[in-house]
Amino acid sequence: MASGVTVTDEVIRVFNDMKVRKCSSQEEIKKRKKAVLFCLSDDKKYIILEAGKEILVGDIGETVDDPYKTFISMLPKDDCRYALYDVCYDTHETRKEDLVFLFWAPDSASLKSKMIYASSKDAIKKKFPGVKHELQANNIEDIRDHRELAAKLGGQILKVEGKIV
Amino acid sequence: MSGGVYGGDEVGALVFDIGSFSIRTGYAGEDCPKADFPTTVGLLPHDESAMEIDGDKEKKAGKTYYIDTNSLHVPRENTEVISPLKNGMIEDWDCFQAILDHTYSKHIKSEPNLHPVLMSEAPWNTRAKREKLTELMFEHYNIAAFFLCKTAVLTAFANGRSTGLVLDSGATHTTAIPVHDGYVLQQGIVKSPLAGDFISMQCRELFQEMSTEIVPPYMIAAKEAVREGAPPNWKKKEKLPQVSKSWHHYMCNEVIQDFQASVLQVSDSPYDEQVAAQMPTVHYEMPNGYNTDYGAERLRIPEGLFDPSNVKGLSGNTMLGVGHVVTTSIGMCDIDIRPGLYGSVIVTGGNTLLQGFTDRLNRELSQKTPPSMRLKLIASNSTMERRFSPWIGGSILASLGTFQQMWISKQEYEEGGKQCVERKCP
Repeated sequence: MASGVTVTDEVIRVFNDMKVRKCSSQEEIKKRKKAVLFCLSDDKKYIILEAGKEILVGDIGETVDDPYKTFISMLPKDDCRYALYDVCYDTHETRKEDLVFLFWAPDSASLKSKMIYASSKDAIKKKFPGVKHELQANNIEDIRDHRELAAKLGGQILKVEGKIV
Repeated sequence: MSGGVYGGDEVGALVFDIGSFSIRTGYAGEDCPKADFPTTVGLLPHDESAMEIDGDKEKKAGKTYYIDTNSLHVPRENTEVISPLKNGMIEDWDCFQAILDHTYSKHIKSEPNLHPVLMSEAPWNTRAKREKLTELMFEHYNIAAFFLCKTAVLTAFANGRSTGLVLDSGATHTTAIPVHDGYVLQQGIVKSPLAGDFISMQCRELFQEMSTEIVPPYMIAAKEAVREGAPPNWKKKEKLPQVSKSWHHYMCNEVIQDFQASVLQVSDSPYDEQVAAQMPTVHYEMPNGYNTDYGAERLRIPEGLFDPSNVKGLSGNTMLGVGHVVTTSIGMCDIDIRPGLYGSVIVTGGNTLLQGFTDRLNRELSQKTPPSMRLKLIASNSTMERRFSPWIGGSILASLGTFQQMWISKQEYEEGGKQCVERKCP
């Protein structure tokens, strides 16, 4: 069952840019998105990019110290969002980068917002093929720090964003 | 070409949530249902009185139905109490139609063909019944558009979850329904008859043991205040009609249901006689004036919901307590999604409003949750949301402008037939 809400082309373009890694110059890498939030348009018809709510790779070390922490702090306390986060983690063998899709629906959000975001999740998820990790979080404790994130990603993870788990 | 037919967010859609205890109905976009009345109705099989005395009844094929609390409460000769539902699904279609007729004329006060209809259904509803309902709504009521939603999905969505385990304890059964990515996992549904009606039955036995007579208000002409525990002093109404057994039984049940809600409490740990003996007593007065204190019984009766092993009269005792219903259901789902289900156990349904219900469930489940998984129980503090969450969810959904493309439109029905419900409303 779905709400009929649709996803804008801009959202799909952002997803493709985050997913497909082209060989690019240092400048282009800096402009790559590390994290991005999506919300519903005011008329509740489309899922759109939330303006200003993003972290660029180039921000890390400049304006952003801990990208995951900053990402979590961007989530509104009493409203729902969808998000993509490009996580970097280390296992025994190798360093990996994966996209994480997050459905954020805090228990303090209004019932209306929860209903619309939950029933529209399928629409955005369908536009993000090949995303390995999908999280549903309903309070900040679920995803509080890099350890929680590591537990959600599963498997033998040693470090998340360079931090030991 | 269903898009654009209704334009804007205001489609004047109606939302029906049909439970085994009551039917909730009202306009989409509103915060709570306009009407909430008993699903059970009075039925007079062969109506010989040709005279239309009151407008509170619906006639169908020579039968008269008495619908809604006020009409149902009038003592009448030969009127049986029946329900259109069996096992949460529509069984008696004449009766169901009579209820819809009543809803349109008395509560909605409008013509059915003017409003799209979104209806909730039991997650285990059968294909034949869904198609029959679709046919009825389009052919008989001539509605403009229709949609069927599973109650568990509406509840999960209204709680901000597309994945979760919905524990619905209502009147006739307690059910655990796993929902994953917005779809019900049919193979994981677990049902138990230990629910509200079961508690009523246990109370009835308690009153029998205590030789407390249950006298529904309809029989009482006058009563006097009596001392605690003293025999009641009341006068029976004269000239009461010869009412049917089922109707009297129903009226007694209403008394019991009030007792249930006011007196009972679920023990926060497995029942212990010594703890129960120290339970603060609660004073309760029956409609006939008999009044006394209840102590240990307060905990003993609801205990059967969680631990049916000591309940008298349950044959073989294969029934699952509430905690087991949840763990069994999750155990039948794929191991990869189990953490997501334990992490969102959504508690809903009128029976879960029993004092202490969620605390006890939380305690039982935390002992059974695998250590690698985190348990979280979600239970709205608002009585309204706990009882009406499928309705409220449906109300929001059906009022969305974008939802208009999801409806089965009349045109689609005419082109594709009743089978289209399987495709449009999976």
